[in-house]
Amino acid sequence: MSDRTQLWRMAPTELAPHEDALTRFQTELERAGGSSVCVGPGELVGEITATLAAAGAHRIALTADLGDARPVIAQALEIARYDVVDYDAVADDRAAVRDLDATVTGCLAAVAATGSIVTGATGAGRAGALVAPTHVCVVETRRLVDGLASLMRLAPRLGAGSMMALQTGPSRTADIEKTLIVGVHGPKRVHVVLLDGVLDD
Amino acid sequence: MSEDPLTSSTFAERARVQLAKPFLREAVPRATDIAVRDLRERFAGHDYDGLRELGREIRARTMADLEDALATLTDALVANGIHVHHAADAAAAREHIRRICRESDAARVVKVKSMATEEIALNPALVADGLEVTETDLGEYVVQLDGDRPSHIIAPIIHKTRAEVRETLSRVAGRELPDDASELTDFARERLRDAFMDADVGISGANFGVAETGTIVLVTNEGNGRMCTSMPRIHIALMGIERVIPTLEDLSVMLPLITGAGTGQLITSYVSMLSGPRGEGEPDGPEAMHVVLLDNGRRALLGTEYQEVLHCIRCGACQNVCPVYRQVGGHAYGWVYGGPIGAVLTPLFLGTEAGGELPQASSLCGACDDICPVKIPLHDLLLQLRRTRVDDGAAPWRERLAAELWAWAWSSPRRYRVVTRVGGEVVRVMAAAGLMSSLGPLGRWARGRTLPTPARRPFHSRGERDV
Repeated sequence: MSDRTQLWRMAPTELAPHEDALTRFQTELERAGGSSVCVGPGELVGEITATLAAAGAHRIALTADLGDARPVIAQALEIARYDVVDYDAVADDRAAVRDLDATVTGCLAAVAATGSIVTGATGAGRAGALVAPTHVCVVETRRLVDGLASLMRLAPRLGAGSMMALQTGPSRTADIEKTLIVGVHGPKRVHVVLLDGVLDD
Repeated sequence: MSEDPLTSSTFAERARVQLAKPFLREAVPRATDIAVRDLRERFAGHDYDGLRELGREIRARTMADLEDALATLTDALVANGIHVHHAADAAAAREHIRRICRESDAARVVKVKSMATEEIALNPALVADGLEVTETDLGEYVVQLDGDRPSHIIAPIIHKTRAEVRETLSRVAGRELPDDASELTDFARERLRDAFMDADVGISGANFGVAETGTIVLVTNEGNGRMCTSMPRIHIALMGIERVIPTLEDLSVMLPLITGAGTGQLITSYVSMLSGPRGEGEPDGPEAMHVVLLDNGRRALLGTEYQEVLHCIRCGACQNVCPVYRQVGGHAYGWVYGGPIGAVLTPLFLGTEAGGELPQASSLCGACDDICPVKIPLHDLLLQLRRTRVDDGAAPWRERLAAELWAWAWSSPRRYRVVTRVGGEVVRVMAAAGLMSSLGPLGRWARGRTLPTPARRPFHSRGERDV
């Protein structure tokens, strides 16, 4: 038996034929403890600002994979009196990284069947999406892939650099008496902003 | 741990100690039941069996030509700028890692939970070199603080109560921490954050090594795997040579198997795919990455009847369903791997001298075979190990004598009839007199059980009229 084209029948990490990718992504992410919302290009900055405000974040880092949208988001956050830095500028400064309340990143891809976002060392860096208690990720809907198999086929062409990482919801542990605790070494809050449009516009 | 529990005690002795802990016998079945329930839930409507078959096929194909897969992996790792080291045994692996730490002037090491590093007893060696070593998986951190051992492949402190964890962490804090899992975790998070930021070297295992792309894959939930491979200057991954898989496509089959069988999750919170040190223009990551390929008894199993044990991806599912493990926990097995997989691996890796009795610690119910994500026939392997032990003359003489007498008595119809007749009579009389517990080894078995009194005439000797 080697018919991998039927992988979706066996693996819950694939999308069934005709299944809606966006709906599945949002459902799985929520199941994993994350949240998401769909916005148009005009609502993006407002959504990010509102999320950061709700999280009580002040010191924010933005990663390079936000592309041309980065300066625009940075400007809006500065006007709203947030302390904003580029992650690449502070990544080597341990104290600065430790002090971050939130990071805002883009992504290389997102996996619909598992609710995962995919970041790369070249864009969000290894730890850009990981170090702060709150992570806001902007996902252009065109970056959604069906399942793990599609992602792995695409992976060599994503330009992830020395690390590609899948992240699904917040960091978690169940080590103490099997009690689920959210937010161990990675973020406690993961909010995905699904952008119906492109970041570089 | 100064002396080796495997050689200084028997399984029965260790099991008795564990069985006397009421929490263990309650907590282990509860925790493992949750994992099995979640696995079934996640695969509802999907063909888990079909996926297991794909997984088995990938593992079998790879093991059939392991050297070829390893050569491809090594070439790809090197092409990615990763230093590759080969370790024939535990001592060689420790030596490689110690040397890398020495040559990079390291003072502090952070670790991702890794059974391979447990297997080579890495931490004591690094500590002896004057390095400060910190385990960063919450459970492993507590295990390390207590000088304990992990008791489950993926849930290292399954045997500990929250109160015990609180006591341990309070000792480190120097104050009474609240009796709340969330606050205990917060405390550990802050402590370990310092460790990540200050560390020179991050040491991990490897869940998989993808040959075609030269990628080390780490599967974690807490995020410590990502931190350990992002912050320190050096990353060292210790990988058992059997953890190689040929392609990224294979990874899309193996990932849902390991996370499903391991924790019942669709996917873990983090999956890191590491293909080299920090590259040009990347904002963070280690300056150098090393992979140590660990043999330590694995190659010797190739081409033997035990080859299939190399298919294991260390998910812990066989422990979750094993009726023996669920009662006695991981420590009773005496080494790093417990449960059915431990009962097979321990004698194969350490020799029958040390772990030879472990295959006896099984009811051969086959639950492990049924759940194993890559369909390892664990109970066949356990039986084969038992057979080998008898052939080697390592079984106790009383056990051998009993088996031989039994074989002699039951291999002729006449002898069989005489023995069952006489035996039945003896048991009947003794049971009636309440003397079963004085029957030697049989008595120990009869304690806590009510034996039905045998019929006056065995079924075998009744005629049609009687039936």
